[in-house]
Amino acid sequence: MSFPTFSLAQQRTSVPVRIDDEKCIADKGCTVCVDVCPLDVLAIDLTRGKAYMAFDECWYCMPCEKDCPTGAVQVDIPYLLR
Amino acid sequence: MTDTLSALSGDLAALAPRLAAGDATIRRVALIELADDGDPEHVPLLVAALADADAGVRSEAARLLAGWDDTDVAAALAARLLDDDAGVRAAAAQTLSELKSQDAGVPLLPWAVHEDAFARSAALRALRELRLPAARDPALAALTHADAGVRREAVGVLGWLKTIDALPALAGLARHDTDAEVRRVATGALGFAADTSVAPALLAALGDDHWPVREEAATTLGKLRLATATGALIATLEQDIWQVRIKAARALGLIGDAAALPALIASLAHQAGNLRKEAAIALGEIGNAGARAALDVATADPDPEVRKAARLALDRLEAA
Amino acid sequence: MNTIEREVDVLVIGGGTAGPMAAVKAKQADPNLKVLLLEKAHVKRSGAISMGMDGLNNAVVPGFATPEQYVREITAANDGIVNQKTILAYAENSYAMIEELDRWGVKFEKDETGDYAMRKVHHMGTYVLPMPEGHDIKKVLYRQLKKTRVEITNRLVATRLIVGDDGRIAGTFAFDCRTGDFHVVRAKSVVLACGAAGRLGLPASGYLFGTYENPTNAGDGYSMAYHAGAELSGIECFQINPLIKDYNGPACAYVTGPFGGYTTNSRGERFIECDYWSGQMMEEFHNELSGGNGPVFLKLDHLAEETISQIETILHTNERPSRGRFHAGRGTDYRERMVEMHISEIGLCSGHSASGVWVDEHAATTVPGLFSAGDMACVPHNYMLGAFVYGRFAGESAARHAQEHGHARVSASQIDAERNRVWAPLLRESGLPPAQVEYKLRRMVNDYLQPPKVTRKMLLGLERFEAIRDDLELLHARNPHELMRAMEVHAIRDCAEMAARASLYRTESRWGLYHARVDYPERNDADWRVHVQLHKNAASEMACFKRPLEPYVIAMDQDEHAAYQKLRIHKEAVPA
Repeated sequence: MSFPTFSLAQQRTSVPVRIDDEKCIADKGCTVCVDVCPLDVLAIDLTRGKAYMAFDECWYCMPCEKDCPTGAVQVDIPYLLR
Repeated sequence: MTDTLSALSGDLAALAPRLAAGDATIRRVALIELADDGDPEHVPLLVAALADADAGVRSEAARLLAGWDDTDVAAALAARLLDDDAGVRAAAAQTLSELKSQDAGVPLLPWAVHEDAFARSAALRALRELRLPAARDPALAALTHADAGVRREAVGVLGWLKTIDALPALAGLARHDTDAEVRRVATGALGFAADTSVAPALLAALGDDHWPVREEAATTLGKLRLATATGALIATLEQDIWQVRIKAARALGLIGDAAALPALIASLAHQAGNLRKEAAIALGEIGNAGARAALDVATADPDPEVRKAARLALDRLEAA
Repeated sequence: MNTIEREVDVLVIGGGTAGPMAAVKAKQADPNLKVLLLEKAHVKRSGAISMGMDGLNNAVVPGFATPEQYVREITAANDGIVNQKTILAYAENSYAMIEELDRWGVKFEKDETGDYAMRKVHHMGTYVLPMPEGHDIKKVLYRQLKKTRVEITNRLVATRLIVGDDGRIAGTFAFDCRTGDFHVVRAKSVVLACGAAGRLGLPASGYLFGTYENPTNAGDGYSMAYHAGAELSGIECFQINPLIKDYNGPACAYVTGPFGGYTTNSRGERFIECDYWSGQMMEEFHNELSGGNGPVFLKLDHLAEETISQIETILHTNERPSRGRFHAGRGTDYRERMVEMHISEIGLCSGHSASGVWVDEHAATTVPGLFSAGDMACVPHNYMLGAFVYGRFAGESAARHAQEHGHARVSASQIDAERNRVWAPLLRESGLPPAQVEYKLRRMVNDYLQPPKVTRKMLLGLERFEAIRDDLELLHARNPHELMRAMEVHAIRDCAEMAARASLYRTESRWGLYHARVDYPERNDADWRVHVQLHKNAASEMACFKRPLEPYVIAMDQDEHAAYQKLRIHKEAVPA
């Protein structure tokens, strides 16, 4: 069987988790929000030393916001549900 | 601190310099990692962090100590109830309230008579859950404290201890305290009484200006099944707001006096379905045949919850 | 990417509710055992109760309900299809578990004298124990895991169980969703506690992760149990729940009920006849939603200010705290507006209904050495407290099994085959994005399996699911995270096929909306008062068969049966 080829498009999406860079302390070694996310959608941008939402797969469950030591995380309801 | 730090082994050895870093945020993050390991050997490091120069680190340490139920931890946390920083004080109070072992309550006893109202109410709040007999005297003394928060927590300690000789004082608060929430919790705390001595206070509470107090009074009268309250509960069922009437109906069902029949039957026509349902249940519990005709009508109530309750009540009449 | 092998005595897969309890209990039973808790996310905040729980729905507390009464209640709620021994074992151990959790620091509501503040919500027994401060329950579990020195690995996604050459359980395969490393974990006994199949139907919003259940619970456990040869039961008894429309979280009638809140139709009238949360209740809900009195609302606007602020505090800090934010966005204030409700997409979940891996009263599955607990184990209507009680049973049983048995022998070819299957999406140079395949698969689940169930539609659904099986070979993952989603699509597809096949097999209607078959509208006790079991047969095909009911241990006497019937609805028609 010949392997099919695929063409892919980049789709934009608005993500529900916002990080306040001023408050985020990932540059000091904090990974709390990344650790607690059940869906593993958050990551640390190593160049900036700040957390961000890497995958649009949020259950708006809020451990990231609740457990953040500095209150840097804000979870909005995903746009499709709002 | 340095001695304990040098004892950190393996992966955690890398934490030592961060725990002692000049940057408070780095110290705080390192502390979170340390606590995550859950090793009891590290508890002294967390306790030491309660004295950190930075309030953020102190708060974090107070939070991270939750679950470590020993006297040293409790004593160190209690000392933070007088911290300059409100966040640290609140975190310490919260963690203390999660203590579970009676031993850990012993160092809190001096704080339960402390002159600072915040420290005193936090200590009493923590002691409530522990049911430490020695907490009785500080709690009794706190019943007359000027601060309502302190009085509220003192009532909690005595209610949970089920201290019989505190009943007169609790009854006094239920009737006369200036704070409505204190009156409400004192009314609820009377629910461990073994005799009718608390009846006058509960009947007075049934006439309180503040409806949650009346609700609590009706509930407690039901819990104690105080037959002497039947008349007053009937009056409540006839005149109060529906929320309180519901509790009165439930209490009358538990007491089981057929004198309540006319008022309960009349309640089957009240506008609030929640009350009609409770009245039907109570009529079933009383089990008097005089309610049959009214319950028959209620089986056609527009509210299915009332219909169900009426059908089950009729079964109970049948069985009685 | 590496292959990492390790050996333990007891392996617990799933660190949500039942899993941590199983791990702690196995370790307590024998501290010399090497117990490993393997979790796909992070144990601190994983599973159905990641943000806590606002109450117990099925607490059997002395003085308020008896175990016998509870067994009768659940037998009636599940239309007679129960193994009563499993329900009774739960009920008899429910109170001891509440007491133990209380000692651990889980907060249950108590009155001003320190007694549990039980609330009467159901008509027969009293089972509701509120937990207004239940938000820290995961923290409490985590602390116990640390105290008992259970080993934990986070971010490992289990894919298939390892079965020994003699048919005994031998461990699990897994991969790291951050590094892609392949793990072979050998164990003498395994506890499966992977939660519901919560990513089966597609939510009406179309958002893949806007599910009722925690979307991490994608049905991995159901799929793994099936491929290991375990029997599953009651798969056709779907989970469908009433919820807040669009937000898709629970409306929490059990929380608001004791305060006087209730579910109404658009006229502000109550309409639910059925007492216990069941398929009957969902059928009434469905009828009202689609009838002239719809839609359906949660009504709180008649309550006093003091009561409403208390409800807000509980609902907006517990279980699904973002609901407050959702209401704010829509301008919904409980004081002024009723909350619009809907029913959820379908799922498989024994915690709320009855679909799961078949277990006995010791949490043993039909595979030697494999135990299961929580939402994925078939003990109907078990909820959170049932997950804890069966977690305890599973942990203790698994410890005993590990003490009595060695490691099973495993062929090297089994390891190679699974590693090839798991790494394939990463090794392909291009292919189908997992999210796209998942979207299509779950839309097909809605189109063909959402009750009322129609035979011809379900057959067409099976054709579509077969076609998607071919698409699995085209899945492409750009990184280990996407690989996790790709492997979840495998599990979701298995669950979809199971749901269709079990539903087709039971040619009657039962459990209200959960199994309402338009072409077999009547309940048929003569032929179908049995469990429908599903397994992988000797020919490696998915097959169903009947398992007779165990004799009841608690008699359902006529009077009582009549009392329960008085709580049921009397409408027969199932609108298509």
